[in-house]
Amino acid sequence: MAQLRLRESQITKIHYLTGILALFAVAVHILFRLIMPFGQSLTFQNVVANYHNIFYALLLEAILILISIHGFNGLRVILIELKQSPKWDSIITILVLVAMIGIIAYGTRTIVIASGL
Amino acid sequence: MTNVPHNKDLATANSGREGLKGWLNPTRYGWERVSYWLQRLTGVGLLIYFIGHVYETSSLTGGINAWNSMLQLTQTLGGHLFLLFVIGASTFHTVNGIRLIFTESGKGLGKPGRPDYPYNAASLNYKQKSGIWVAILLACVAMLYGGMVLFSEGG
Repeated sequence: MAQLRLRESQITKIHYLTGILALFAVAVHILFRLIMPFGQSLTFQNVVANYHNIFYALLLEAILILISIHGFNGLRVILIELKQSPKWDSIITILVLVAMIGIIAYGTRTIVIASGL
Repeated sequence: MTNVPHNKDLATANSGREGLKGWLNPTRYGWERVSYWLQRLTGVGLLIYFIGHVYETSSLTGGINAWNSMLQLTQTLGGHLFLLFVIGASTFHTVNGIRLIFTESGKGLGKPGRPDYPYNAASLNYKQKSGIWVAILLACVAMLYGGMVLFSEGG
């Protein structure tokens, strides 16, 4: 059976790319909180209005995916650095993938419900 | 035939791996090691914050009361101080991460040369060190600005 297996160099490139893209996406996300007084920007009505903007909802989804990939891969790298064995490598990779998919699914649920899609 | 020892402890002891003890050993700390530590600490901290933030914002689906009660937990002095830490950590992690991308692509490392006394490594030059200082400085500036926004009127 053909198996999708990325080389570590390819994973590193994905790590860099997700980090750089997340930087720009998070900058826009923060700007949405700063274009009005911070406290006012966090009112329920304003936040729901933000979510109803389809471009902002897509931006949130992008941030969710980018940071999940970047963050959980970073955690995988740290854990693999601490101990090396094929079994440990496989266990960590599977756990990290499950956690990543779980967070993306949970965050997507919030975005879908709050944006009224 | 040579008898090769298969003792697990012996194999671990000879592997040169120190695990977490190696991380925590403060006797070999230079700026690069401080940066290595901070990059990992801020990364793990930000991942924990990110998971918490996804959970926190999910209260939006519970309606205005659920949102407001969740907001009450974060709109406190402790919540603002925690957010300041997040601002500083994310700025340092970003700037130092960009430095690391350049470093790992071989940029700013210096030319290899004959190892002459006092054996200053070309890779640990002022460009690398100033990158770490810039990351720390920008993190402080971001925290200052964040503090002004969070603790000002309407923050």
